[in-house]
Amino acid sequence: MERKVAVVGYAMTRQASDIGVPRPIMLFELVKGLFDQMGITRDDIDTFVLCSNDFQCGRTISNVFEDTPVGAYMKDETKVEADGVMAVMYGAIRIMSGLYDTALVVGNSLGGSEFRPYLIMDYQLHPAYDRQLGILNEPVTAALQAKAYMEKYKITEDHLNKIAARLLRNAAKNPFALRGKEDATPEYIASSEYLYEPLRELHCYPFTDGACAVVLASDKRAKALTDKPVWIKGFGDSIEGYFLGDRDLSWSRSAKVAADRAYRMAGISNPAKEIDVAEISIKFASQEPIICEALGLFPEGSGAEVADRGLAEIGGEMPVCPSGGGLGAYPFSAMGLIRVAECAKQINGEAGDIQVKDVKTAVAHGQDGFCAQHNAVMVLSSEEG
Amino acid sequence: MRNVGIIGVGYTPVFVSKRKDVNLAEMVSESVEAVFRNTGLSPDDIDAITFGNMQTFEGVNLPHLLMSEHIRAVDKPIIRIATGGTTGMSTLQAAYYYVASGIYDVVLAVSWEKQSEGDSQVGLAGIVMPEAMVMVQHGMDLLGGRGMGGMGGGSTGAAAYQAMSYLHHSGADPEHIDKMAALERSNAALNPYAHLRKKTTVEDVQATPFISWPLRYGHTCPTSDGATACIVASEEKAAKLADKVAWIIGVGCCTSDPSTANFIEGQMTDPADQTVCKIAAKKAYEMAGIEDPAKEIDLAELYDGFAHQSLMWLEKLGLCKEGEAHKLLDRGVLNIDGDLPTNPSGGVFSTNAIGSSAMNRATECALQIMRKIEGEHQVPKTVKKALAHGWGGLFQYVTVMILSDTPRKI
Amino acid sequence: MAFQMGEETRQVQATWDVTTYNYKVDGRGIKLLADGMKDKKILGIRCHNCGTVYVPGPPFCRKCYIPIDEIAEVKDSGEVVSFAVEMADVRGNPLDEVRVSGMIKLDGSDTFINGRIQVDDWHDVHIGMRVKAVWVPEPQGNLSDIDHFEPI
Ligand SMILES: [Zn+2]
Repeated sequence: MERKVAVVGYAMTRQASDIGVPRPIMLFELVKGLFDQMGITRDDIDTFVLCSNDFQCGRTISNVFEDTPVGAYMKDETKVEADGVMAVMYGAIRIMSGLYDTALVVGNSLGGSEFRPYLIMDYQLHPAYDRQLGILNEPVTAALQAKAYMEKYKITEDHLNKIAARLLRNAAKNPFALRGKEDATPEYIASSEYLYEPLRELHCYPFTDGACAVVLASDKRAKALTDKPVWIKGFGDSIEGYFLGDRDLSWSRSAKVAADRAYRMAGISNPAKEIDVAEISIKFASQEPIICEALGLFPEGSGAEVADRGLAEIGGEMPVCPSGGGLGAYPFSAMGLIRVAECAKQINGEAGDIQVKDVKTAVAHGQDGFCAQHNAVMVLSSEEG
Repeated sequence: MRNVGIIGVGYTPVFVSKRKDVNLAEMVSESVEAVFRNTGLSPDDIDAITFGNMQTFEGVNLPHLLMSEHIRAVDKPIIRIATGGTTGMSTLQAAYYYVASGIYDVVLAVSWEKQSEGDSQVGLAGIVMPEAMVMVQHGMDLLGGRGMGGMGGGSTGAAAYQAMSYLHHSGADPEHIDKMAALERSNAALNPYAHLRKKTTVEDVQATPFISWPLRYGHTCPTSDGATACIVASEEKAAKLADKVAWIIGVGCCTSDPSTANFIEGQMTDPADQTVCKIAAKKAYEMAGIEDPAKEIDLAELYDGFAHQSLMWLEKLGLCKEGEAHKLLDRGVLNIDGDLPTNPSGGVFSTNAIGSSAMNRATECALQIMRKIEGEHQVPKTVKKALAHGWGGLFQYVTVMILSDTPRKI
Repeated sequence: MAFQMGEETRQVQATWDVTTYNYKVDGRGIKLLADGMKDKKILGIRCHNCGTVYVPGPPFCRKCYIPIDEIAEVKDSGEVVSFAVEMADVRGNPLDEVRVSGMIKLDGSDTFINGRIQVDDWHDVHIGMRVKAVWVPEPQGNLSDIDHFEPI
């Protein structure tokens, strides 16, 4: 890699079911607050990368009304329509090109109060086939995926309940998360209604408003902007086919390919050993083992054992989503950005009650599409190396 | 930083108002297959893909997911970029950054629109829908019949304000818009990938009715179905994979604010002011080492949704002095065989599959430089440096790309 | 040989429905403007840092990137920055009567508003022309309280 890139600042809104202010105000307060906290102005930013989506915003060219709130007036700006990890990656790539030294990446979504997430997902279905048939929707596809994994590796609904309970307990300790429950038990999860068997309401992501901003800088500028830069060591993404029938839903091929790319770039050969914490984007409890295994954090098919032995707990062997992850909040376009920011928090020891001990290397993950058709993986580290 | 060049271009076989014989994915795949055919490369040669369109125009969210197989993306990195009218150029610039960064060596950029499958008016109204609702709540007459009404410029939007202001400040006459329109439509007649391909005279244009004076029906662009695919590569890879390369030696982009066509925030900018365009161009020229663009640029492909814009952009991009563009037009300088051929392809004004429109400006420049133009619109002069321009957002977003027959000295 | 399009595929219908959104819009600036019009006042917001007067007023200054809330009153007269003469509707059908819509910079403001300009002959309208607002007899506190602008 020609130039190194670091996360030098980050801020997120509280994630809420209704953030209560219009999008431009939310973005202005978030970004202005971040600039003030870092002691910089919008003139210190060379390039702006926005992450939002026309369907989520209910607006053609969603960045049109986001430019001025994030301070991009008369600046270089572009928009990524994908998960937030993709946007951070593109910001880093822009810096690596040598044309810019700093980038602001901002993602936002008002899925709690402004749009209906399952409906927005419906617009991703094949317009002349799946949308006409009306059989598939997001929870249905998630249930199919859950079954595929559970049948193959003999894991039960109780294991899903354990995963969800752990994430809600974590989320309760994260002041930014929308939905948490301090004493969540598997029984508590089991008491929620089925949406589509085997998935219950509390296995699914809550509809969330939220935004997150991350400032990236080249090695040249990073140290002037913070004394605790978090280095982007590697990244990768990959996509697979659209039709679910063509895919083996019991694992994630694209997450595996994406992770392989990111690890190769980061020089990681044994992720389970070398990674200290993972912040992954899952929409349903059943996706956690599938994604974790594709990322090489746990052995294939180990979902039951990981849940039973609490290996993914904050104090466990491989802490996964100390923030509560997607079950604590899932603000679509901001989701991946928040994962990156949570990794940076963990590395910098700023995670408060959800802090994992001695974090040097963390992995952030984001996804798009039904059953995580497109996955993005980013490795972050305290070491510049 | 390393040099990046365009090594191949593929279009759908035609750009027309309705491709009823193919679905979205099939249409886009035509452009991808074309670029592989034209370059002799295969999907295995591609490291990553950048992809863009204006998705509300077809009503499919994140369509790269739907067509991942059709565009040969499976198991590859893919990023979706969307910035409105400039989407195609922003997508190509993303491919540029991907390669310049050293992360990937060969990147496929794909942009498209199939406007016949959606409602373009809904798509466009969707830009300011919430704000428009609030204005109506406060008693604004949106159609401008009375009071402090109107989203600006009546039925052609703020474009008519822009045209009027441009004419006033440049000293050009409305007839110059007719003349530019006739020139571009006649260029399009030579281009097999253009949509409106009819040799057109000034009289033909003048026979069309005014929509909002000074703009006539014959000054406005069509809505098209079509797709474009373009492969960019690092210098090292280009040497191995391509016989001819059009080097990307300058990129620039600038955004201002959405106020030009939106009442709610206080309109700050005269739509013909285009400081954004000047800033974007300045960046691209600096990167390309161009000091006197009027002298050094041999050809321009400009994003002109309306015919007056080609003249306006020439001035804002520094390709001539302000107020001079219509004089160049009168002297024949902008003709295909002129000193500064402008939109030899016929421009967006003749072909507008929106998502691809800004990318097509760059691919046309690249093909002119490589002398690989299919059709009769290859310019006779040698093109060493060409400028491609994109315009989008709500009048506020400009992208610029400079292409050259020789790589930058790094 | 010229490309021949294949047979038409089947067409199906689906919608993208913008009415399924609950948009939040910051309407403070437009409300300030509309409310003031009841008293024939045109109110915007001035940036205390750079002095730019916005009508309607946004919540923050685009240039200075700071929150702004200082109310500024501007005149109901101003200058035509640009204009268009509407002659046809969106579908291209000619209008019975042409109408002039202008982009007007009100005195004391740094931004433009749109408004209809009433003249006997549209050829008389030009950029730089001075115009003033003609108010309805009984303003209601909404954006239709100015009926049109006329030349001074
Ligand atoms: Zn100011």
